[in-house]
Amino acid sequence: MTVSAPRKPQVLLDALAATIVGQRPSLEALLSSLIAGGHVLLEGPPGLAKTLACRALASAVGGSFKRIQFTPDLLPSDIVGTRIFDQRAGEFTTVLGPIFANIVLADEVNRAPAKVQSALLEGMQERQVTIGPQTFPLPDPFVVTATMNPLDSEGTYALPLAQMDRFLVKILVDYPSSDEEGRILDRFGGETPALPADVVSIDDILRWRHEARTVHVEPRLKRYVVDLVGATRVKHDYVDRGASPRATLAIVALARARALVAGRDFALPDDVRAVAPAVLRHRLAFNYRTLTDKVDPETIVAGIIAAVPTP
Amino acid sequence: MTAEPKSLRVGETLRLRIVAHVDENVLQLDNVTLPDLSGFDSLGDERRCATSGHGSDCVEVMTLSPTEGGDRTIAPTTLDAIDARNGKPSHFATNSVTIHVAGALQPNGVTRALLDDLLKPIAILVIVGAAAYALLWGFVRRKPLPAPLPAPARPVTPATPIDPLPQLIAALARERTRACVLAVRDELRRRVGAREEETLDDLFARRAAGDDPAVAGALRAVERAAFVDDSQLDGAIDDALRALSKWHES
Repeated sequence: MTVSAPRKPQVLLDALAATIVGQRPSLEALLSSLIAGGHVLLEGPPGLAKTLACRALASAVGGSFKRIQFTPDLLPSDIVGTRIFDQRAGEFTTVLGPIFANIVLADEVNRAPAKVQSALLEGMQERQVTIGPQTFPLPDPFVVTATMNPLDSEGTYALPLAQMDRFLVKILVDYPSSDEEGRILDRFGGETPALPADVVSIDDILRWRHEARTVHVEPRLKRYVVDLVGATRVKHDYVDRGASPRATLAIVALARARALVAGRDFALPDDVRAVAPAVLRHRLAFNYRTLTDKVDPETIVAGIIAAVPTP
Repeated sequence: MTAEPKSLRVGETLRLRIVAHVDENVLQLDNVTLPDLSGFDSLGDERRCATSGHGSDCVEVMTLSPTEGGDRTIAPTTLDAIDARNGKPSHFATNSVTIHVAGALQPNGVTRALLDDLLKPIAILVIVGAAAYALLWGFVRRKPLPAPLPAPARPVTPATPIDPLPQLIAALARERTRACVLAVRDELRRRVGAREEETLDDLFARRAAGDDPAVAGALRAVERAAFVDDSQLDGAIDDALRALSKWHES
């Protein structure tokens, strides 16, 4: 049985793919995270359409979009908002910060100090913000897409593992192929193309979320996910600490979302295998030997996943 | 980190040399974690740091004596310090060193000569005695003549292997249970050479099903029947049986 919905997730994926050249796995992961209700960490060099992808997503869902450029002098109030004294009214009024949007792009999140990072991450976790005596709920859906540049580590504040864990997925954005780069030139070399507007609505997203929660996951598949995450905790030459049960929940939520995007109401081992690297890569603590032996962490994650028999 | 010699016997000594260069002038290195040296007796430890205009070269030489035989790998020595290249706290490590330790030392020359003098006559006596005993035994118990060889057996025509799939499909059609679906799925996967860690997409990616759309259709339909909700199992089994029948016909 296929899932019937007035506007299906595939429509949104196609609209994004019509704007962004290539990057199909990143767009799929972005959409799955939106449906699963999680936040996304995008890592890749500058100029790979990370911001454009987030902007296109916000425009396509008809939601509000805010971009915050993280810098070392940023303050928590620059993100969550502040209270100012209105002299005319003779009272304090609250000015909400840019975190109050459906899709928030936290650009170069590792360039701001820990206090600012934690202000954002607290909002991500609690989905509400407290300014002075008042608590304000964040809009629904609320998705933070944070970017990190892996090339310039100078003057950055690395996110601790506990905070990285708040991101549902970490997506690696890579350079396009030469064919894709040619198409980028054709599409963006002249007039800037318009972003897809109101392809789906916020209500559609909320309905997909509900439908995703009803996607069936066979007990054998759940066991597979538990085994997969458990395999990261087995003594390993290059891994000091494995993933938490939050990763287990994240894999199942994303596998359900991926199944929904594919038009299924049941998840397959393929869904689990497809989402597992993005869920696990930022949750494992790799030891110094990965550096000294020059081993790619992606290879380690892939090796751990490949070693677990599928159901 | 180096060891000299790398091959020795139990009881002999080796010198383990650990060298570190730091960009500052220091008298000694703190935060150095030496490797686990169990299986070795430590006979001495010498540390020194020589400073120059380019920083300090610190050397630690340990004199060790292995207490057990076999190949023994000494893990890297580690140092927690600020990396001068980026100013960040870092974890540095040396290489590891593998030492080959042979068994215990042989007895010295005098002892060996004494042992030789004692053992040689005994050994000769034992050998001569054993030979005489063997001759006597062979004489008393002569072996009987070998029996004639049996006639060669008639060649047996091997039985034609029974294809389990039709039976499994028949059982699925009859019983319509998840267990029957899984049995058919296992057999299908075995036929296309699926490894236990491979998913359906992996099989298609390496074209395990070839270009036959009927095989691909059967694999997909059975996969669906294996993972749908119980409430949809009946319909999924019908689809799977149809796809399997199409495959069988093709």
